[in-house]
Amino acid sequence: MKGKSRIYSLLVLTVSFIVFAAPVHARIKLVALPEREKTIIRLDNPNATLIEEERVLTLQKGINKVDFSWKGVSIDADSIRLNVLTHPYKAILLGVGYPPNEAALVWEIHCDEAFEVTVRISYLLSNIDRMITYKGIADKAETHMNLKSFLVLRNFSGEDFEKASVFLDDNLSFEQSVSHEETRQLLFLNKRGISIEKGWTFDAGKLPWDPEKLDINVGIPVSYRIKNIKNSGLGTYALYDGKVRVFQEDGHKGTIFLGEDKAGLVPVGETMKIYIGDSRDIVVTQRKMQEKRINVRRNNKNRVVLYDTDELIKATAENFKDRPAILTMIEHITDQWDMAECNMKYKKKDAYTLEFEIELPAHGKKELSLHYNRRNLR
Amino acid sequence: MKNRLILPAIIGVLLSYSAVYAKVDLVTLPKRETVQLTIYNSADLTLVRETRDLTLKKGTNRLQFSWANTLIDPTSLDMLPKLKGKEIDILDLTFPPRARNLGVWSVESRMSGDVPVEIAYLTSGLSWRAFYMGTLSKNEKTMRLKGYVRVTNNSGEDYEQAQIRVIVGKINLIDRIADLARRKYAYGRPGPSPVVRPAPQADRAAGMSEVKHKLMRVEKSMMARPKEIKKEGLSEYFLYTIEGTETVPHGWSRRLPSFDVKEIPVVNLYKFEQERYGNQVMRFLSFKNDKAHKLGDTPIPGGTLKAFRDVGKEGRLSYEGKSRFKYIPLDEDVELNLGPVANVIVKPVLMDYKTDRYLFDGKGNISGWDEIRVFEVSVKNTRAIPVKVEIRQNFKTASWEMEKAGDFGAYEKVDLDTVKFTLKLGVRETKTFRYTLTMHHGKRAE
Repeated sequence: MKGKSRIYSLLVLTVSFIVFAAPVHARIKLVALPEREKTIIRLDNPNATLIEEERVLTLQKGINKVDFSWKGVSIDADSIRLNVLTHPYKAILLGVGYPPNEAALVWEIHCDEAFEVTVRISYLLSNIDRMITYKGIADKAETHMNLKSFLVLRNFSGEDFEKASVFLDDNLSFEQSVSHEETRQLLFLNKRGISIEKGWTFDAGKLPWDPEKLDINVGIPVSYRIKNIKNSGLGTYALYDGKVRVFQEDGHKGTIFLGEDKAGLVPVGETMKIYIGDSRDIVVTQRKMQEKRINVRRNNKNRVVLYDTDELIKATAENFKDRPAILTMIEHITDQWDMAECNMKYKKKDAYTLEFEIELPAHGKKELSLHYNRRNLR
Repeated sequence: MKNRLILPAIIGVLLSYSAVYAKVDLVTLPKRETVQLTIYNSADLTLVRETRDLTLKKGTNRLQFSWANTLIDPTSLDMLPKLKGKEIDILDLTFPPRARNLGVWSVESRMSGDVPVEIAYLTSGLSWRAFYMGTLSKNEKTMRLKGYVRVTNNSGEDYEQAQIRVIVGKINLIDRIADLARRKYAYGRPGPSPVVRPAPQADRAAGMSEVKHKLMRVEKSMMARPKEIKKEGLSEYFLYTIEGTETVPHGWSRRLPSFDVKEIPVVNLYKFEQERYGNQVMRFLSFKNDKAHKLGDTPIPGGTLKAFRDVGKEGRLSYEGKSRFKYIPLDEDVELNLGPVANVIVKPVLMDYKTDRYLFDGKGNISGWDEIRVFEVSVKNTRAIPVKVEIRQNFKTASWEMEKAGDFGAYEKVDLDTVKFTLKLGVRETKTFRYTLTMHHGKRAE
């Protein structure tokens, strides 16, 4: 850190000692500023940045007052901690005081003799944070991807940091200088040939059923799935949340931009799903061909009290592409229901959601027929 | 690419950390060798890739890149050595304090000499759209279809001798590139952001004569034949690469021919559907994006088609109407809506109405009944060419029965409450058919 050189941004640490009893309110700041020996910026929590700095204090016999004040930066005063690294049993922290109307606190440390100690001061500093971004370049076949991840360090804290150790997590750190109002983008992950899966998803609860009736194309969402496992070429660390931009090799030594998505944190073993865009070359047309009441039951007043329905849905999925595609089709049936007849296998995701995996050949077409009864409707 | 706007790439050898900000160590300004623009139309987005020859020295080199008065997204900046990649590491990209629209790459080189690098970024302000002109033959059995691409540059930058590629497809974007480009800080800033006013546009008038000069210079080097467009599919998108290079100064557009296909067989299709079009008959031109229709090489990007008809007199034309259509995949049917017409008439007339087959409950109240309507539909073609007419009827109930009589053509149940009749009519022919629609209500519907 070089806070001492900045006028508007000060992190001042002074040590005074009391040889004779002095009035508490007469705070004396006389001792020269101790240099920071080491600074650590911890960014593993995306919501707050922890600064840890080490300094060597020269303590005198008796009660020492260590004054820590700041200006032009925003420090959470309740987060400030002092840890004595050397001679921890000889330097006893007696108390902490907050002077009135000041951005400061005072540690009271008692020593039996005079010596130098190394202390670590930790605090949460505002307006310095990190972002994670990804850049993936898929191959032409869309089976593998070169994935780079960047740490973007944004420092608007009011403080300059010089040669600080920046920790993204316990295992990942690097030395970096970053000035106030400076942003640094650093490559920290570069993996080649990661396995990816491409998928198309039609959710009947979200997308229009009959695209012919619309003046716009109904795009079928397309996603890449990256499993954070060893077999994919990953699986060592969690993938942090951040914006993912996906490109694809164009076969002419260049790339095109496929799209971008915001990915959440992906722990080891989990899958990152990146929605890149919509396909207009897969068209799903879904129509209800039948809906009638059956098993109608009435009360003594001849009013309908209970009935079932007999419903038939037909969905045609057409692949206009010259490559096969696996379409995930999600259907929803409300209420209590029984399947009367279905021409494709499905996975029941929950009580009301069915998921079909439909393999569509190149320039091929398949029709899903879903004949079901809803039961005991009132 | 331009000389007028500021897009300098400056390389220097790192002397000290502070020297970066003092900008005293800048030594060369390499010129661009090539520029490639990949322009999207589903979003305001262009991928720019340019190559430059840098002279690197052993050790840490710094490359400064600035882009004032443009709409470049700084978070997209990327640099890649095209040769000697194993000897060169891009260490980081820094956006220095108190400097807008400026980034500095730290490049560690284990060799000294010239290295071509590619600098890529996303920018806003360039756009393209497709439009079409169709000319029907005199008998309206075929159509000549010409496609065009119009590229417009409002990016703040002149692109000279740029290879132009356009992308058809809908990409997912989290942020608008224009918003990212206008941010005060490259990645924004933590905490509350100050309101930033957009930078005033530079006065372009002064540069107009220079732009015209550039264009005149380009015109002299133009090919004597129309340019070809190479089309290829990538992922879910189609990439159209325009042959050669183009110069598109800021504020200018260029119209580029996309394709020209003669004698596409077309069907004059007329549609009647009261729920969608009221009582009007709509005219469509119908064909298919396949080989049988002399198309089918690529999808057709959505756009507006203006349809004309050859009236046969000294190549004179009649304007038939225009149609805005959506993206047409390969092998997909195309129906171009040219709007309402009066020369094909569809008249459904209710000829009879009655209710019947009542059911009563134990208290003597009505619990079910049928509603019966008899329609007579006359379909008249007043044109001197044969036509195809499609009539759709919606019933708003799933419980119905239908009896048909007369010349109703092909009948199809579209879904639970919609039917379709498709008739082919010869020159000035009239056809009439009847159908009896029985709709069940109450207990009769069970």
